[in-house]
Amino acid sequence: MKARLLMGATLVVALFSFTAEASMHWVPAPAVKGHGHAGHGGGHGGGNSRHAGETYLLHGGEGAETQLMSPHLAVKALQPEQGRVSVKAMGTGNYHALVAKRSAGELHESAIRYIYMNGKPSGVSPSLLIGHEKSALEIEPAPLAREHWRYYSGTDAVFVIRYRGEPLAGASMSMTTGNGSSAEFTADATGRVTVPLPQDFTYEKPGRAANPPAEFLLTARHGDDGQRFITTFSYDYHINPQHWQSTELGLAMVGGGMLLGGFMTLRKRRRKEKK
Amino acid sequence: MPVWKNLSVIRKVVQLLAFLFLVYGSVFVGFYSADKISGAFPALACAYDAKTADYCVLIPLQHQLGHGVGRAIGAGTFALSMLLPVLTTLATFLLLFVLLNKAFCGWLCPLGFFQEVLGMIGQKLRLNRTESLDEKVVDRIRPAKWLMLGLLVILFPLASGIGFVGHELGDPFCKICPSRILTSLAAGQLNQLYIDTSSTGYMILSIIADTLFGLILVLSLTMRQPFCRICPMLAMHAIFKKIGLVRLVKNYTPRCDKCGLCAKACPMDIREIHTSKEKDILMPDCTLCGRCVEFCPDKGVMAMKYAVIPIKVSDPQYFKERNRAQKQWEGKQKPSRRVKKD
Repeated sequence: MKARLLMGATLVVALFSFTAEASMHWVPAPAVKGHGHAGHGGGHGGGNSRHAGETYLLHGGEGAETQLMSPHLAVKALQPEQGRVSVKAMGTGNYHALVAKRSAGELHESAIRYIYMNGKPSGVSPSLLIGHEKSALEIEPAPLAREHWRYYSGTDAVFVIRYRGEPLAGASMSMTTGNGSSAEFTADATGRVTVPLPQDFTYEKPGRAANPPAEFLLTARHGDDGQRFITTFSYDYHINPQHWQSTELGLAMVGGGMLLGGFMTLRKRRRKEKK
Repeated sequence: MPVWKNLSVIRKVVQLLAFLFLVYGSVFVGFYSADKISGAFPALACAYDAKTADYCVLIPLQHQLGHGVGRAIGAGTFALSMLLPVLTTLATFLLLFVLLNKAFCGWLCPLGFFQEVLGMIGQKLRLNRTESLDEKVVDRIRPAKWLMLGLLVILFPLASGIGFVGHELGDPFCKICPSRILTSLAAGQLNQLYIDTSSTGYMILSIIADTLFGLILVLSLTMRQPFCRICPMLAMHAIFKKIGLVRLVKNYTPRCDKCGLCAKACPMDIREIHTSKEKDILMPDCTLCGRCVEFCPDKGVMAMKYAVIPIKVSDPQYFKERNRAQKQWEGKQKPSRRVKKD
């Protein structure tokens, strides 16, 4: 429980450090007594109970329409209370999309976050949901870090910026992280952007449980025919496990296993010859 | 013998295609779990391989028993409905398993194929191979697969969920599974080959995993399918083998008593296929590779059937050609050093 509260507090500090000036975006809500808490992406819903709902905050989303989209593209309207939405699975498991949209004059904003929910097997691919046009301007993860694979600091993540369903060449995109990093990117001719996730964690203790994830936020902007579009994609990323996992030692241990195998083979052969 | 007639060659081609599909399948079916065939595949296709086309059934089983059932028992909130995910996983597994039975091991498993390829390399390098293990050794090894299934796939994950043991043992089989290292390496990932120093438990499990992988690399060169003999998937298949459509049938004749070529051909050293007088000879250790049928010299004595349809029936002409092809493939074995007897 203490660990959960500590993780929640860390998350709050991390989140609010980059939400002050950011565009509308989703973040997991820190644990509050009596509320469900949001799980993190990757890994079967981040360890949330199968029956518990999850709570998310929509920052800067006053007046936005919010909805949950299922793997089958079924849509359920959400009612935020003070920016908080409680999300429960719509009967199926797998990835769902939290979508918030708002238009005011020539400005059109959207915020998208993918969340894993437990439930009955959906029988359809999350590719359907991720590839589906949820807003005019959209940042599509290509692919989304899922199940036994996470976004890690010091690794590259790939995204495609789409406008009206088509890749947007040369689009500009910015990244901010809960650990205080920021960067600017430009999409290539196919709308792809490769984002090097920064090594901006303070490493103190080994182990994933001892290193809570941080949030990263991608924001893309585009202007067309006097209309302005802003979209955000938010997700969590983790400290790179290379801090406590050594590939060199692993290779050495495989070598040790091979030597042991060689020794066992020789011993077996000698015994056979003695018979 | 034309290769298209040789069952072992056909099986190798199928194994190669299955390996490519299961290791690099995301190229065809996309990156996300529901793109996969089932999420509960009856062979060691690994979820830690970011390019995989499906997940081995053992990973959801461990997670559902640990995160779901075990946690609920620990919290005192267990209800029978908690078993639904486990039952769904088992039902998905069975839907596939019934189609091919234990042939998932002998024809589709990436790790099984890898070990067989190493065995072929060992043959070509003229290494002194042990074609059959001693009966006593085989008998000692056989219970290991049940222990692996019982402890690593069921008990430890449950105990971890309840809180009796650490989180390290939440999915202990995956932590030591050689297929996790093999398939991720094949997919160009080095991230599953490591020693984890974050806790004693993780360190021990990662040491076991890497050592086991190294052992398999070497033992497979001189011994037939070392890991298959202790694989929990083999045990899981053994539980449900009666409902699978692919069957192994023997029509016993007195000539069988003197022959025993089927048992010699068996890569899993199942001597019971030679001694048994039963019609159904699909044994718990069988991987349905079909070598016993190939190397049976009597017409119609051994058969592999799909329900009632014969797929391969033993035949003296085929046996002769197959035997010749095998000798050609193996070439002259390097004579082992002889110890002079006093």
